Amino acid sequence: MAKKKKQATPMRMRRRMNQRQEMSAFGPLLVAGIIVIAIINLSAAGLAVVGLAPTIVLGLTGKGQYKSERLQCVGFMNFAGVLPFVGKVIDTPRDLVYIITDPINLATMFGASAIGYALVHVGPMVAAMILQSLSQERIKNINQQRQALIELWGAEVLGDKDAPDQEPGWAQGRR
Amino acid sequence: MEFTTYGGDAYMAVDKERPGKDIYALIHHPTVPLRNDVYKSLRGRPVANLVNPLDRGLMTLDLQGGRKQRLVTIFERPTGGALFGPDGKVHPRVNTNKLRQNVVLSALKAIAAVHKRGFTHRSIKPTNLYFAAPDGDEICLGECYSSPAGYKQPFALEPLKLAVADETARGEGDLESDFYQLGATLQCLYFGEALWQGKDRSSLLMARVNQGSFWALAGGREIPGALGNLIRGLMADEEEERWNAEDILDWFEGVGKPKRTSMKAWSMNRPTNFKGVAYVDRRLLADAFARDPREAANFLKGLDFPAWVQLSFRDEILTERLESILNVVSGGGLGGVRPDDYKMVTRVCMFLHPNGPVHFKGHSFFLDGLPSALADAFAREDRDLIGVILDLFDEKFLNALSEVCSERNERFLSQVRMLRPVMIHGSSKQLGRGMERVLYALNPILPCVSQRFSNVWIGSIKQMMRAVDRLAEHGPLKNILLDRHIAAFCTAHGSDLERDFSKIAAAQNDPARLNGLTSEFFGMLQRRFKLEPLHHMTEKLVEGLGQSVKAIKNKKRRERVAALLEKVKKSGDVYKLTTELNISRIQVEDSREFAQARTAIMKLDREKARLTRKIQPGDPEARAKGLRGSRWVAFAVMVMIGFMTFMPA
Repeated sequence: MAKKKKQATPMRMRRRMNQRQEMSAFGPLLVAGIIVIAIINLSAAGLAVVGLAPTIVLGLTGKGQYKSERLQCVGFMNFAGVLPFVGKVIDTPRDLVYIITDPINLATMFGASAIGYALVHVGPMVAAMILQSLSQERIKNINQQRQALIELWGAEVLGDKDAPDQEPGWAQGRR
Repeated sequence: MEFTTYGGDAYMAVDKERPGKDIYALIHHPTVPLRNDVYKSLRGRPVANLVNPLDRGLMTLDLQGGRKQRLVTIFERPTGGALFGPDGKVHPRVNTNKLRQNVVLSALKAIAAVHKRGFTHRSIKPTNLYFAAPDGDEICLGECYSSPAGYKQPFALEPLKLAVADETARGEGDLESDFYQLGATLQCLYFGEALWQGKDRSSLLMARVNQGSFWALAGGREIPGALGNLIRGLMADEEEERWNAEDILDWFEGVGKPKRTSMKAWSMNRPTNFKGVAYVDRRLLADAFARDPREAANFLKGLDFPAWVQLSFRDEILTERLESILNVVSGGGLGGVRPDDYKMVTRVCMFLHPNGPVHFKGHSFFLDGLPSALADAFAREDRDLIGVILDLFDEKFLNALSEVCSERNERFLSQVRMLRPVMIHGSSKQLGRGMERVLYALNPILPCVSQRFSNVWIGSIKQMMRAVDRLAEHGPLKNILLDRHIAAFCTAHGSDLERDFSKIAAAQNDPARLNGLTSEFFGMLQRRFKLEPLHHMTEKLVEGLGQSVKAIKNKKRRERVAALLEKVKKSGDVYKLTTELNISRIQVEDSREFAQARTAIMKLDREKARLTRKIQPGDPEARAKGLRGSRWVAFAVMVMIGFMTFMPA
């Protein structure tokens, strides 16, 4: 049975448009950035194209929630791996080929981006652990507040569904 | 004692300040209204030949049924004895000469002085005339202040016009009625008989109308000489023909002209047969209708009324307007007597006897006699009579009556106008209104006759507050303001209290709120009347507020309110209960804050439940925060490496 094509509601159209915009925003920016680097230093642009390949791939293929955070995380680490070689290429542009063909150099650049990926995975774990410990503190606080309210108003304040009106009838304007 | 009246019981009294002064004390009955204007007039300026009040005040007395607080008035006491004793015998010193020379003159002096003060005596009777001293010839008229004018005066001793009304509803009457009473009194004294006793009302009325009051009372006996002329003149049934003070003075000088009484004005041109009796006098017919209004209604409905009027009252023209006001509907059908039929009979009675009383549902009232009639009805708990008076309070009906009698009875309309602001309360079921309110509004001097105050005399709100304070010493104050008499007394004697009583009535099923409102009300009265601390009342009200305090849910507030209540309890200031401690406001505030606290507890519980579960790295919050943290770490690493690369030194 053929799958029924989903009707294009205004909401869906807007969502699709946003996705397209996110996808397309990275490409032009990347191209523009590489052109600018190429104008300043052609070898540096070449190094960037090769060294930042993991980031470029993630930028162009990445999907789902927190895409920008992931991209930034991987991008920053990848850039950190590429940066030491940028200086060398600017000083001796002829070494570009030597640098980009050296497996150690490539491992350094791509390894840095791998660390970025690792951070993407480890970050939420660490955050969960921190949040859990903060919650314990908050629970303690809540318990104290709750106890104070019970002491002030009595156990009645815990209430039940069959409790009478919160205010007497006459106070609500009824006789 | 001979000085006892319908308004009070007389007792011997001794004046300790002025030994030798002859006085007696009259202990007033709380259910009989006094003539306060008479007291005010006579208190400072006594009238000669009249038993004047000397002073009055509240006293606690040992009476039948225990100790009771009563109003006691001290009167001058004539020591010569009553001219006609309670034993039914004439005083041995009374003879024709004394009657002619002393009694008439003394009585005339007193009556003239009283009339000059602007009121009538209306209590002149043989038993209420006294020798001022055991050996003198001076005569004193008894007091006329302890009961309303003409209150329960014997039928024979009241002028015909007033006599036909109920004995408690004769009203103020007029100056001429005092002269009639004097004439009838002289006649009784002359014959030495209680002529007012042992005579059937209807036969005496018939005789008085047909033969004149003088002959009817005398039983056909003549009084010869000048005294006879005087008494005949005084007992003339037509007011225009009755002798007045001037005529009596002329008589003294021997120039008095005997006046004849005529009965023409009230005669019909053709007798009317009602219940087998042929009536020629319209007053008699009106009275006969009044005594049996059901039968009268049937009679009138079976009559061709315009034709009957034309034949019976040839001198009168029954205009279309009058006919429409009288609204005598012929043809009774099978429905029997309808409520409107009673009003129809009343209108016709008023047409027949325009200056007579309002004959309504078997009762006869003068409108200015309604206050005393209503007081008597309440005293006897005569619900039927109270109902009849309430039915009479129909403005449209009274206006119709005033139109019927407008030509011959000009006072009627002004009396209706005076009743108008009072009678609007009559039919109301509201607390502080109703017939109880009418009672106190018509009788401002009447004390509160609530059962709760049977042992005390409550003449003002101040006295009521003090009495409530004393009551509080021995019993609870619960629901005291729901008593209809107390509420009506307060609204009649205070101003703008109706709204407070409406609130109190609305809270009668909510004891805590009722208690709060009672405190507010008494506090307001204490402040308004600048009363001293009322410790017992405050104590009871504070005790009553205990329930309300217990109901306060906030522990701190409850403790604070309890401490304040304790402080107020000691001060005896009820007003503080409402100002410093507005319990109603506190209750509302407490309830509102309690609701907020419950909401807060629910929110905390929800929050706690949320926080208690295990946080996973995949949870949106942990993920977002983790990724944001990782990004910052990556950025920091990048900046650090960049710095190390480009700034090696």
